[in-house]
Amino acid sequence: MSVIRVEEIEELEGGLMRVRIGPQHPISGQGTIIVTTDGEIVYEIDVDIGYSHRGIEKILENRTYLQGIVPMERMVMLDTSHVDMAYVRAIEELLGIEAPPRAQYIRTIILEMNRIISHTYALGLLAESTGWFPAFFLWTTGDREPFLELMEMLTGARWSYSFIIPGGVRADLPSGFKEKALKAIEYFRERLDVYMDAWMENALFEVRTRGVGVIPSSKAIEWGAAGPNLRASGVRYDTRKNEPYAAYGELDFKIAVETAGDAYARGAVRIQEMYISLDIIQQALENMPSGPIKVNVPQRVPPGEVYSRVESARGELGVYLVSDGTDKPYRVKISAPSFRNFFLLEMLPTIQEIKFADVPVLYMSFDPWFLDADR
Amino acid sequence: MYEDIINQLWSFIQDNLKFIFMITIFPGLAFIFIFVIFAVWFKRKYLARLMLRMGPVHAGKVLGWLQLIADAIKLIAKEFIIPRTTLKFLFFLLPILLPVIPACLVLLIPYAEDYIVFEAAGNGLLLFLAIATIYPVLSMLTGWVANNKFTIIGALRTIYMDVAAEIPMVIAVLGVVILTGSFDFVKIVEAQSKIWFIGPQILGFIVFIIGCLGMTERVPMDFPVAEPELILGVKTEYTGPLYLLMMEADFVNWLAWLLLLVTLYLGGYNGPDIFMNKTISGIFWVLVKLLVVMILLMTIEVTYARLRVDQAVRLGWRILIPLSLLNLVISILLRYYMPWMWGVG
Repeated sequence: MSVIRVEEIEELEGGLMRVRIGPQHPISGQGTIIVTTDGEIVYEIDVDIGYSHRGIEKILENRTYLQGIVPMERMVMLDTSHVDMAYVRAIEELLGIEAPPRAQYIRTIILEMNRIISHTYALGLLAESTGWFPAFFLWTTGDREPFLELMEMLTGARWSYSFIIPGGVRADLPSGFKEKALKAIEYFRERLDVYMDAWMENALFEVRTRGVGVIPSSKAIEWGAAGPNLRASGVRYDTRKNEPYAAYGELDFKIAVETAGDAYARGAVRIQEMYISLDIIQQALENMPSGPIKVNVPQRVPPGEVYSRVESARGELGVYLVSDGTDKPYRVKISAPSFRNFFLLEMLPTIQEIKFADVPVLYMSFDPWFLDADR
Repeated sequence: MYEDIINQLWSFIQDNLKFIFMITIFPGLAFIFIFVIFAVWFKRKYLARLMLRMGPVHAGKVLGWLQLIADAIKLIAKEFIIPRTTLKFLFFLLPILLPVIPACLVLLIPYAEDYIVFEAAGNGLLLFLAIATIYPVLSMLTGWVANNKFTIIGALRTIYMDVAAEIPMVIAVLGVVILTGSFDFVKIVEAQSKIWFIGPQILGFIVFIIGCLGMTERVPMDFPVAEPELILGVKTEYTGPLYLLMMEADFVNWLAWLLLLVTLYLGGYNGPDIFMNKTISGIFWVLVKLLVVMILLMTIEVTYARLRVDQAVRLGWRILIPLSLLNLVISILLRYYMPWMWGVG
């Protein structure tokens, strides 16, 4: 993660060159990936993290707990409610309260819808990186629209919901939400079948992704892979099961696991997770308990420290929170999944020969987010 | 004195009216420009439909037909940036040269029995393949003079593409030459009056289509312009009018290869004489077949992923070359056992 100076660039031996992918590049996002290559074979990948650092952890120290939710969500715009949930979970653990059951179920619905929204985008970008920018990216972008509309119906916003608050959620389900959601689930399940046929079984897509960037399970654990990337290497680990939060403890669902550990497996895990998310939303809607949606919480949080984690769309997201008894946190440290997934991208050339054309495919198959890693 | 010159000129124009028409209107300058405008517009609208969106709708209310003109004005009015590290003379010259090469190819194709600009003494196909070889080299040079890491990698990949796609394609085309015993486009088209060569030359046709995708740098063989890693390949450093010229060269090159595909495998100008005029019917059928092939290739473009460089070269040398050699053997057998089918018996 070092910043290289300009004069260093041309002085590499053996006809190698350093190609900077980003920050102004079709695929890069808000950061730079520095690839040392001879044109086709990659010798080193260096992810230059910090370009979009906004100091969210410091900002949180100057906000009350409730105000802190909004800057916290700016960490990763695609997946805001998981970040929100991690922070709220930490606060609730310090306070020693639990949200009422109905709030837990509504939280579960939001979290899973957000996972679908995030995964569709990730899959669209994976398709883009293999040369399908136009068709598949727009398909997935269009197909997540029902869920964005549902989110708007429920929270009033298509992005950045700030809906999960300490003690519960901001509002109850609006009338007609359940019917609309069930319709959206049915539609999206059909679309997922289409994706499986048209995309995951496409010969050229398999050629580009199978056997590319294979991470064995031992290495995945050693390097700290997070989320779908870990499960694609055959490790059965999911915070939703291991340390249930929201309503996950009461719902019946599986963990999507693939054993191949390559880019294709990571895409496949995401598609399976979306199937599972649909199941979870359906169960939560059907078993929705009645009752209050929030409990009153005090402004001041008792002193202490806590580490809470949730399974976000990109992997396990941890929040370490230290309170000194005032209405503002003393210190917040966020452990972001994208940071660890970028590390996989850096480490891959050490165990496998990577082609230059594979770099975008690998980058998108890990689905890291520079904003998430930089915080 | 002036009267003499004017009279001579006038008689020259009268004598060569058809030739001048062919050079300027069809299939010359006007046709090429209109095709580029139409192809870009059609591609945008057609691909947009496959991607669940609308394509351009604002400029020119009906179907967004003015969009390309708006884009062209935008590109011409753009700031003219020449990077300091380039060879300035070549940086200017090459984009201007690029569209000329495929435009020459368009003039070699017969559009009717008596409607062909340059007959090249019965060696049209040979000349076509020879001139077409220049295009990837010039394309490589544009990347080289731009002197940017992305353009240089793009230039290297253009050469890989040439190796992977052009060699099997030329061997596949030889099958047609063996069947007809001629490099003459008119003879090749006349030989398809009974059956189009897509039937007996199906292997050659498959190899040719893949090679065609490669030579025109389209998905799945578009790794020289692979957007996720190379931005735009050799075009990365070009802006404004020069970029416009390079895009035009891209589409004219596409037109040339599609016309060759239509001529060699889809019967060229053969078709029912619906206009009671062989020339007009011939032109009509060539254009209709061109449109069909365009739609076919555009559909391939959105339904497949891009091959990697090593995979494409492996495809070219391990699969396409053996296939094209097999096609050659089949052609020899067909020529030997039923020569009457191809009009050479």
